[in-house]
Amino acid sequence: MTLGRATDLPRVSMANDDSSGANHPDTPQTGFLSRYVFSTNHKAIGLNYLWLALFSVFLGMAMSLLMRVHLVWPGVHLPLLSSFGNSPDRYAALATLHGSLMVFLVLTAAPQAGFGNYFLPLQIGAREMAFPTLNVLAFWATVASFLGMTGAFLISPQLGITLWIVSVAIFCAASLLNALNFSVTTIDLRAHGMTLPRLPLTVWAWFINAILSMLIFSILLAACVCLLSDRLLSTHFFPMLNFFSTQRAGVIANAVPTLWQRLFWFFAQAEVYVAMLPCFGLVTHLVATFSRKPVWKERLVVLALCGVGLFGFCVWGQHMFSSGMNPFSPLVFSLLASSLGLPATILLISWLGTLWNARVQLNTAMLFALGFISLFLSGGLSGIFLARHDLAAAAVSDDFIAGHFHLVMGVAATFAILGALFFWFPKMFGRRLNEPLGKLHFWITFAGVYCVFMPMHWLGLMAHSRVSPGSPLASVAAAGSAIRTFITVAILLTVFAQGLFLINFLWSLFRGEKTEECNFWRATTLEWSVPSPPPADDFGPSDPVVYRGAYEFSVPDVAEDFVPQHLAPEQVVRARQSGE
Amino acid sequence: MPGATAVPDIEVIIEDGGGGPTPPPGGGDDGDDGKRRRPGGRPSPNRYYTGIALGIVSILMFFMALASAFLVRRGASGDWIPVHLPAVLWINTLALIASSFTLERARRSLSRLDVSGFRKLWAVTTGLGALFLIGQLVAWRQLVAQGVFMASNPASSFFYIFTAAHGVHLLGGVGALVYVLVRKFDNNRSIALPTAAEVASYYWHFMDGLWVFLLALLYLGK
Repeated sequence: MTLGRATDLPRVSMANDDSSGANHPDTPQTGFLSRYVFSTNHKAIGLNYLWLALFSVFLGMAMSLLMRVHLVWPGVHLPLLSSFGNSPDRYAALATLHGSLMVFLVLTAAPQAGFGNYFLPLQIGAREMAFPTLNVLAFWATVASFLGMTGAFLISPQLGITLWIVSVAIFCAASLLNALNFSVTTIDLRAHGMTLPRLPLTVWAWFINAILSMLIFSILLAACVCLLSDRLLSTHFFPMLNFFSTQRAGVIANAVPTLWQRLFWFFAQAEVYVAMLPCFGLVTHLVATFSRKPVWKERLVVLALCGVGLFGFCVWGQHMFSSGMNPFSPLVFSLLASSLGLPATILLISWLGTLWNARVQLNTAMLFALGFISLFLSGGLSGIFLARHDLAAAAVSDDFIAGHFHLVMGVAATFAILGALFFWFPKMFGRRLNEPLGKLHFWITFAGVYCVFMPMHWLGLMAHSRVSPGSPLASVAAAGSAIRTFITVAILLTVFAQGLFLINFLWSLFRGEKTEECNFWRATTLEWSVPSPPPADDFGPSDPVVYRGAYEFSVPDVAEDFVPQHLAPEQVVRARQSGE
Repeated sequence: MPGATAVPDIEVIIEDGGGGPTPPPGGGDDGDDGKRRRPGGRPSPNRYYTGIALGIVSILMFFMALASAFLVRRGASGDWIPVHLPAVLWINTLALIASSFTLERARRSLSRLDVSGFRKLWAVTTGLGALFLIGQLVAWRQLVAQGVFMASNPASSFFYIFTAAHGVHLLGGVGALVYVLVRKFDNNRSIALPTAAEVASYYWHFMDGLWVFLLALLYLGK
């Protein structure tokens, strides 16, 4: 705890003295607007993203609740569904809005733009992102796309779809700006001594993810531009109507809608890894810190992260097995999709290897990291069924897919985000989240999500969604109905358990236990070398210098069980002597 | 927390150090650590070069998505009626290629510290860029006069979307050229004139090459 803090004590006062200096990129600003709304400071922007994600996740959860209740008790009067005429259109719109909010504004924005903006500069020893103005622009574009997506739900369907596409295009542009900022910051703004092998794995993950985002969001942007011009200017890029009218004319017309599918899935399958990559980084970081051990095979983990990014590009065809593609392509895509198992296995083995024989600190952050591993494994296993084109034909159904991707992408990523929040809360706010309440929240949520999403797989295998009443399979449908009710009850409990988190979060923000130390978790990376919350210019007057790798835990012959990155070799020796 | 007694010891060590911590042993992958930061904590201008390089990759990806859609769509349906490219496009292309040459001449003047020569040639480049954009509008008007609209058929849709998307990106390039031309570059700015000129030139040459690629695609792919 103290090793990290030692060098900072003089800095606090100096940082204040120097705060009016024009040399520092972010001099403290006064006024609510300049401090929070239009601030170009990476910490303010990161926090803004997290607030936006927090709001979106609760909105999205409320929608999933409405949908589940409507599925099981269709007669119940529900806000947003019943008040709009209770039509299938409204249900579809609700599902779209739920998905858009969760995928874009929570899973894409929170781990990358939220935590990344706040901690990437701090972890690499930079004072700012490379292009602060672009950064604040990207944030407000994201807010605009959030408002657009939500607004699209409230207006008429045809206009709503157009508004939704515009919002997605704006989100793409914002993500591209973000990705550019992240990669340039990582490449050019690292502190003296912060060489690539010394980068924390969180930074590696953000960096690889930024490169991936930069490539795939361009594709979605291009597709959105074409789709928009189809809707607004009557162009002929994706003539769906033409397709339906000419379907029998021949195979040629068949390729037309698959063009949109290809563009969309090229983005969307890689988007899964855009959501997951930062989570891999966060979880690896948490597992090492709370196992008090170096990351097992750290370099291999970096390669595995690169592998996830690379393979993520090549598997879009996996979603198009049923679209009448070339008969050889499913085999190729199956092999490519299955090969994603290799980096995933490497990551899993590294986590287990790090945990092996470790003195694990089971705090809430670590529990969420372990929960992530469990969910990632269970959800990933059902992915093997979907990656095989022959098995997919049997397994594919709405419920199986929904169970699979919610477990592996939605909930697992949320666990990583929550773990990171519990870990970094003391750094961001100078207070810590309540541990007993956090653990209670974890266990209810952990049990809850398994109760919700595992039965969905069974429903999918029963092909419940394809059975109509009165068919010979009606008995199967009856069993399916019981499972559906069970899922809905489980989701009700799980969503209400999130109230525990909300209470914990808001209460801790103002009344939580104060964490005076810089290095509350006895962690090694640079963000723990500065006061909590960090000063406006992050590192005070002198630039940080890095002397070692990011995971030097339990180093032999050192008194403390961790050696921070900014500690010079001679300082470590003295610390050992004083400890003895 | 354990080890709390270590604080004073380490502080003393830091004060003893006087000149600050000694440089760390190199991690092996980059020798330019010292260049990365300028005194005063301001990041080095390297970020502009990296930024433009990565931005170019991203823009290239955007146009590759459109180009692959063009090729797939062309072979996928019977409603494809090729667009006869207006002759003014070839003049526009020449103007754009010429602008790349004047841009390089301008940068050569700047490296000889001939600022007035630089500004003159830079203004010519900007003018040629504006001329290209006006020429593209003329090409659109000619097509409209022939009755070829955006909604006419897939080929015309692609023609308009390619030229429009490239035009918007090139307009950004013209904006960058104008910025370099009118902005006062003194020591307080984070970017120096040669850096700004070089970064703008990368983007401009890329836009030039991209147009030649798109024109070849439209011409050969019709």
